Amino acid sequence: MISVVVVSHSPALAQAAVDLALQMVPGDKPAIAIAAGAGEGLIGTDATAVSAAIDEVASPDGVLVIMDLGSAVMSAEMALDFRSSEVEVRLSSAPFVEGLLAAIVTAAGGASIDEVDREARGALSPKISLLGPAAPAIVVAPPVTAGLSAEVTVINPDGLHARPAATLVSTLAGFDAKLTVANRRTASAPVAANSLIGLLSLGAKAGDVLTVAASGAQAAEALAKVTELVTDGFGEL
Amino acid sequence: MAGGTVTLDQLVAWLARFAELMAENRSYLTELDSAIGDADHGSNMARGMSAVMAKCGATPSTAVDELFKQVGMTLVTSVGGASGPLYGTFFLRFGSAAGPVAELDAAALAASLRAGLGGIVARGKAELGDKTMFDAMSPAVDAFDTEIAAGADLSSALAGSAAAAVAGRDATEPLVARKGRASYLGDRSAGHLDPGATSTAFLFQALAEAVA
Repeated sequence: MISVVVVSHSPALAQAAVDLALQMVPGDKPAIAIAAGAGEGLIGTDATAVSAAIDEVASPDGVLVIMDLGSAVMSAEMALDFRSSEVEVRLSSAPFVEGLLAAIVTAAGGASIDEVDREARGALSPKISLLGPAAPAIVVAPPVTAGLSAEVTVINPDGLHARPAATLVSTLAGFDAKLTVANRRTASAPVAANSLIGLLSLGAKAGDVLTVAASGAQAAEALAKVTELVTDGFGEL
Repeated sequence: MAGGTVTLDQLVAWLARFAELMAENRSYLTELDSAIGDADHGSNMARGMSAVMAKCGATPSTAVDELFKQVGMTLVTSVGGASGPLYGTFFLRFGSAAGPVAELDAAALAASLRAGLGGIVARGKAELGDKTMFDAMSPAVDAFDTEIAAGADLSSALAGSAAAAVAGRDATEPLVARKGRASYLGDRSAGHLDPGATSTAFLFQALAEAVA
């Protein structure tokens, strides 16, 4: 059975999340170690505590690490340099509460580290199916077929940040067209141009070249408008 | 290459001066961090560096790598926030690059600083302009190399490096944060100095003062 390491800024949060998950596990449960807080009651994380937790529950079947945000991720990465055990350790991008619950339940069933990690990462699915997708924008946009395309260079010093991205989204709302944007520097998958989060996920900086593709009744007009907006620095220069 | 070396005592003086600057600027750094982060950078760094000085006092090191391994590990365990792994990695890599020696010449110091900077990049995955400590550290390390290559002595090269760190710090003010807690604020992070870049400018100020 794989084991689970829980990394959090707060010992109380970690313990409560583990308790919540263990309610679902009546029988054999995986070994679980918590590395939370920065000692002396301080909120924070400590990479050496994470590596000690990994070594404490090191299982030949592997160790899955579930963490909260920010320095928890960095401390978990650093712990991989410090640990003395040699079993497989996987850092999961799973959401903390739901992911931990899915991980512990799945691990208790004897699943492999791949299966447990997959379940944990997908742990928001039930909530998403009830409440709608969280961030559909990050999902690769459907390809724009038989359309037009253009390449435009971002000239804003701060790149395509929130304000210009929002301007782009609101401008496109008036057009009967589907547009996607990709960042040539990062060779990213295209995102929907009407998605704020999608546009921000491109990480476009000043000087980056965007590939914009358009289809639909007003493809040409929409593409011209986007080109004008980008070339014009989104009116903020 | 210009002459001069940095001794183990000067490196300890660097850490002591940095600890002093963190204690003096604790409220200032926390105030910067309260504008765009979780208001703990000043207290985290002051606590971490005070733990470092306590450790250095209790078990003095006889070699540069040993000293900075102790420093890095102490920061990792005592800081709590992301600056723990970041500064921790900086000092750990700095020490490994320096090796088991008692002093560093300009080339060795340059290589150690460059290795420390590489650690920050590996850990934080930041790029120039992300509004992080990297924005102060990267120009500081570059400036040191440039000054040494131009024939400057150690202390003036470090003074140039400290000035470059300050300029890098100041340049973070208009930026929109792309990393860390501040990135959740988006545009609202603009108009404030980055706390990490600010503590990094103090790090290079302390080094320049210790070797002046």
